[in-house]
Amino acid sequence: MSLLRVEELHVEVDGKPILAGIDLEVDAGEVHAVMGPNGSGKSTFANVLAGRPGYDVVRGSMRVDGEDVTELAPEERSLRGLFLAFQYPIEIPGVSNMEFLKAAVDAHALGRGEDPPSAIDFVRHAREAASRLELNPDFLKRGVNDGFSGGEKKRNEILQMLILEPRLAVLDETDSGLDIDALQVVANGINAFRGDGNAVVLVTHYQRLLNYVVPDHVHVLADGRIVHSGDRSLALELEERGYGWLGA
Amino acid sequence: MAGLALNGASLAEKLLARGPTSYAPWLDRRPHLDLIEQRALPELRAEAWRHTNIARWYETVLAGTERATRSRRVEFPGEVEVVDFADPRAAELLVLRGEEIFRLDAQPIAALNGMLLGSGVAIRVPAGTVPSPVRIVDLPAAYQRILVIVEPDARVELIEEPSSYTHRLVEAVVQPGGRLLHRRLQAASPDRECSLVAVRVQANAHYELSQLSLGGDLRRNDIVATLAGNAANVTLRGAWRLVESQHLDNQVAVHHDAPGGTSRQTFRGVADGRSRAVLNGRIEIAPGAQQSDATLNTKNLLASDTAEVYAKPELEIYANDVKCSHGATIGAIDEDAVHYFRTRGIDAPTARSLFVRGFLREAIDDVETARRLGVIQ
Repeated sequence: MSLLRVEELHVEVDGKPILAGIDLEVDAGEVHAVMGPNGSGKSTFANVLAGRPGYDVVRGSMRVDGEDVTELAPEERSLRGLFLAFQYPIEIPGVSNMEFLKAAVDAHALGRGEDPPSAIDFVRHAREAASRLELNPDFLKRGVNDGFSGGEKKRNEILQMLILEPRLAVLDETDSGLDIDALQVVANGINAFRGDGNAVVLVTHYQRLLNYVVPDHVHVLADGRIVHSGDRSLALELEERGYGWLGA
Repeated sequence: MAGLALNGASLAEKLLARGPTSYAPWLDRRPHLDLIEQRALPELRAEAWRHTNIARWYETVLAGTERATRSRRVEFPGEVEVVDFADPRAAELLVLRGEEIFRLDAQPIAALNGMLLGSGVAIRVPAGTVPSPVRIVDLPAAYQRILVIVEPDARVELIEEPSSYTHRLVEAVVQPGGRLLHRRLQAASPDRECSLVAVRVQANAHYELSQLSLGGDLRRNDIVATLAGNAANVTLRGAWRLVESQHLDNQVAVHHDAPGGTSRQTFRGVADGRSRAVLNGRIEIAPGAQQSDATLNTKNLLASDTAEVYAKPELEIYANDVKCSHGATIGAIDEDAVHYFRTRGIDAPTARSLFVRGFLREAIDDVETARRLGVIQ
């Protein structure tokens, strides 16, 4: 059974069709890259997987481990192992990163029918994950994304992913706005996360992240459809030739 | 009482017929009685009472409800002098206070406090001492007065625990180099309550207000802080959370009367249900108060379609070398933030409550107390 199975997915935003029939299967242990020019529907696809309000699925379905999640609330999808790293993480002053992460971890524990971790265990775990991403421990005390640089915001998304250990991580343009050092740190985080029990969908415009996180499959999205799929060499070809030759 | 709302003049007439209270007979009640006799109590359409129907409070004044079972409960350490206002020693402390801290004609309902005073305490914190906190738990009357004198280089925390009154007057002088941290805790109340905090801050002295409020049937807080000496410092923080048809009206004025003063005002409020929240924040910088540095920042969350929020900063600047800024916002809960929380597995009600807590926290320095009071969850 596929970890993620998307069938005939049609999505409208404000009554305007954006996705026009997406089919995608992702198995455990795989990394898929979804690429495409601006306006092709990449971000819509990432957001609709996470259940963003206002993104209406008019046809088709999304299944995680065989369960149809199309109608589930965003928190229900999260508890079933779906994670979205936001392209533009939201700033929430007054709520510390630590408090936010603890609330998320507690919700996941309760969702599994377990007791929430003790504060001490949680802090230790969070600090470990932060240091893996070369983040200062003070980072956890700051307001969620409040005054963070672009790179810090992206690393914070990866930090949440490492802590929540999802089944499927969808990373929306996580590479955008990162300098080369930050890109490597983020890539190391993703590679540390990769495993036989999970899968990653990288949504990206450029192939440079794929130099560090090598995908098993590459898909090209155009006008709300996957128009081409291939292996890693497709990404390299896109880098060289652009999207035009695909009719995208 | 429809169509017959009680106005200032008719209230004055009825009260004068009853006469003043006999509590603290040494207290000079002439200015108060004069103001009331001159019919100078606010009328229903007075500008300062635009958002609060004063007639509803006048009804409470006229009804004159007193609670029988109350007692004076004030907790204080040995080095602090605390006397009842009925004690002639309170008259001496009033002299030590110095000149009037606020103008009665600018705060006319304080005249009712003078006329009807039923309980009060005068507090003196001796020079150079740093005692443990003074806690006002309760005072046994509807009209209450608290006088605080913080002598030079003394440092103290004054805590007003939640309690009920019809009018409470808190006056404080912070003498040179002194520091007063003033915590006001206002619990949800079915009553109609007004209060006035009037503070004079002398040279190099600090006054810090931390006010946490839930709503009342009618709750009005007037706050007047005057930076009277060079390099005085005033910090005002207020956070509130209103539900149902609660009402909270904060009228704040900071007067920079001397050079080199710094004032910081931060207010955060959440209004839900059909509640109404008001914050009028005024900064006045007098001629000669050069190098004053004043900021006012108020942000409000409307948590329902039927709540009302009025936020108005006002500046009056008569000096040319000053730094002054203000900002006021009114908005809804950020649904993008709620969605962000939800994608991490946090359900929507918890997400909203986390968001609200974070929002209010910018104006809260003591999270534990705010939680105990129920301002945050």
